Amino acid sequence: MGNQRGYFEGVLTIEASGPLLEPFLQACTRRGCRVTSLRRLDETTVRFTIRLKDWKILRSLRRKYKCRLTIKEGKGVPFLYKLMRRRLSVAAAFLAALVLVFLAANTLWSIKVEGLTPELEAAVEKKLNTYGVSPGRLTIGMKDPNDIQQQLLEDIPDLLWIGVKKQGTSYHLYGVKKTRHDTNQDNQPSNLVASKKGMIVQTFIKKGRPLVSVYDVVKKGQVLATGELVEEGETFVHTEGDVTAETWYRVEQELPLQQIITLTDGTVETEYHLKIGGWSVPVWGWWRGTDGSYRDENVTTDWRVFSYSLPLNMKRVDHFAIDTGAMESSRKEIEKIGRKAAGQSLLQELEPGAEIKDEKVLHLSEEHGKVKLILLYKVYENIAETKYISQGD
Amino acid sequence: MPKWQQQIRTWIGRYFDLPADVMLDLPRITTIGSIHVYIENHTGLLHFSEEEVRIQYKKGQVRIVGRDLGVKMMLKEELLLEGELKSVEFFPDSKGG
Repeated sequence: MGNQRGYFEGVLTIEASGPLLEPFLQACTRRGCRVTSLRRLDETTVRFTIRLKDWKILRSLRRKYKCRLTIKEGKGVPFLYKLMRRRLSVAAAFLAALVLVFLAANTLWSIKVEGLTPELEAAVEKKLNTYGVSPGRLTIGMKDPNDIQQQLLEDIPDLLWIGVKKQGTSYHLYGVKKTRHDTNQDNQPSNLVASKKGMIVQTFIKKGRPLVSVYDVVKKGQVLATGELVEEGETFVHTEGDVTAETWYRVEQELPLQQIITLTDGTVETEYHLKIGGWSVPVWGWWRGTDGSYRDENVTTDWRVFSYSLPLNMKRVDHFAIDTGAMESSRKEIEKIGRKAAGQSLLQELEPGAEIKDEKVLHLSEEHGKVKLILLYKVYENIAETKYISQGD
Repeated sequence: MPKWQQQIRTWIGRYFDLPADVMLDLPRITTIGSIHVYIENHTGLLHFSEEEVRIQYKKGQVRIVGRDLGVKMMLKEELLLEGELKSVEFFPDSKGG
């Protein structure tokens, strides 16, 4: 039993030699040492074991009794721990090195921008910085090159095109500047023709000779104003102007009376998984219940070492709580919604500047739970279209 | 220790039926066959070798002779010897008694 305890506290095997061995041992035990397995090796030498904590007492007494002490062996947990510690530090260093390599490989080291003027290059770099893309940053959690590309194109209007490519630890950007071609098309001889059928409401011809007047009904392709200033003349000029005409649109709609709507109410439960190859190990948030209906969105982050993607990924699963509700609407409401939607979609299709002047319900009927709605719109819009006159040949 | 004190101690020990080692500062020596010796209440190890161990107690010395002797454990007042035991001899101080 004592043996076991000694093992936990640590045991030292010591060889002592000197003329006053017995008094020395006696003094040690008087101070509380526990001497075990005492054996005489020869006339002046003994070997024994003590507990590790008694070593101090031995040391303090050895001068007084002129003993030479040599530690032969250390046994027990403290020594084992020491050994482990030494190996542990090696293991820790190895692990740290691995982590370091991993981090270094996932750090963005350089950004190269090519094909752009210095001003634009600076602008691109500044924008990238605001996105969190700059040298020295970790690429884990950084935006996708495609997203960056999209965003750059949106934010810098002078860019015609930019390619963002991730090459190992650097981003390569190839840009093309938008060049504004001021071609002299504005001076080329042209006619104005009608882009669609309509009744002229207003004409304003800046250059050229008008051929139509207000209340004329024109067909598609009909010449509204010509660049031929004099009939049968030789001179053709560029024609410019606006011709506002009344046009008509017929919109047919079929709308269900009952609608099933799924709504996300904003509650998000996030789970994190560690993906190792095909395995997915939940790391965080797996306990969150999935009661009720949910819409899941998976986001997988790639971890890379140089250009090799690791089989280790982080997967995030967002559960969006969904509320399903049926919406029953009355015929009146449907009509209202239909009219509004039709007007909006019509305006979206038309060129800017178009104006809805009038709206008429031609037909409204209900069958099989659906409402059929036919609307007629009266719109004022510019129908003038420039058509160049090909000369010569 | 004066003689009269010694006598009182002996008398008290007898009267109260106390163990002699406690009262009289004598070592208690227990042997297990001839392989182990267990000595309590000693005051010092005087000599130690494979053939002979001499132990001091308050009023004399004990000499243990044997072969291949070793101290299995040594504490402040206890000593456990092992080996092949031959004899245990007492050498009381001439003064004590």
